[in-house]
Amino acid sequence: MSRPDDQPDQPDRPDIDVSWLRPYLLTSGRAQPIDQSLEIEAQVSTAAHHATHQNLSFEHKDIVELCRTTMSVAEIAAMLDLHIGVTRVLVADLAALGYVEVRRPDAAPEQDLSILERVIRGLEAIR
Amino acid sequence: MDSKPSAEPRPKRPPTPVKIVIAGGFGVGKTTTVGSISEIKPLRTEALMTSAGAVVDEAVYTPDKTTTTVALDFGCITIDEEVKLYLFGTPGQDRFGFMWRDIVHGALGALVIVDTRRIDDCFPAVDYFEKAGLPFVVAVNLFEGILSHHLEDVRWALAVGESVPLITFDARNKLSVRDALLAVLHNTFRTRAEAMSGAG
Repeated sequence: MSRPDDQPDQPDRPDIDVSWLRPYLLTSGRAQPIDQSLEIEAQVSTAAHHATHQNLSFEHKDIVELCRTTMSVAEIAAMLDLHIGVTRVLVADLAALGYVEVRRPDAAPEQDLSILERVIRGLEAIR
Repeated sequence: MDSKPSAEPRPKRPPTPVKIVIAGGFGVGKTTTVGSISEIKPLRTEALMTSAGAVVDEAVYTPDKTTTTVALDFGCITIDEEVKLYLFGTPGQDRFGFMWRDIVHGALGALVIVDTRRIDDCFPAVDYFEKAGLPFVVAVNLFEGILSHHLEDVRWALAVGESVPLITFDARNKLSVRDALLAVLHNTFRTRAEAMSGAG
């Protein structure tokens, strides 16, 4: 195949077993995050003042560790092999407890042409 | 000892995320497109479609299955210190499901990739973006560098108006992908500027 990097878009991956656990076990039974609208591209970074986090679950700790480098909800899900919905719940938990800082997208990008200009300039700089 | 607070480096704020949607039928080159320009290797994550959040698609409904998993491919580009651009590929099997709403909400625009051998594969995406009011550009991916149809024939087949830009690109080529993304942004800019001047 001439395009080895072109992974098929096929979502069914019977060869990969994501988890034996039902996803809601990881979220203490909740199916919805406290803030349901948390965007998949929202940026998550570990709050500097939280050095210890002994009482957190494994998944929560993993996110706190991972987000020492700022990344999106979608990246966290991919790196930790968690479902997007579960990741949202866990991130919302951590944000509510002050372990992570969340930077959400601007509220009304439709009204803002300056962000478009900025992204255009940024892409034009790619060589 | 210098105790001036201004001497301390300000903690860096996380960047503002923005996103562009990469859509199209199965195997049309969405992941290749993302991979050509993304700073990170395209990532894949799974989203669970529970009965509570599901829009039931009669065609794929199976009584013994209460949850469906869809995969989401994405990558990112650092625009500057404060802005990060994400590219989200639409999950092919979740045409009308909740992942689309999540991906499309707040997006700067969409690139609909077309393989001229299977033009109708991208109908659901075109349809969805038109209904959602998200500005989009149709991009014919030149497999083997060959355009097998005239672009105007593609426009006719897709039934999109003159206001929708139609371009060709090579999903494997970084600069070609960059230009396709720029076409998306310029199209959104024009659409929004027109809407704003019309409204005000």
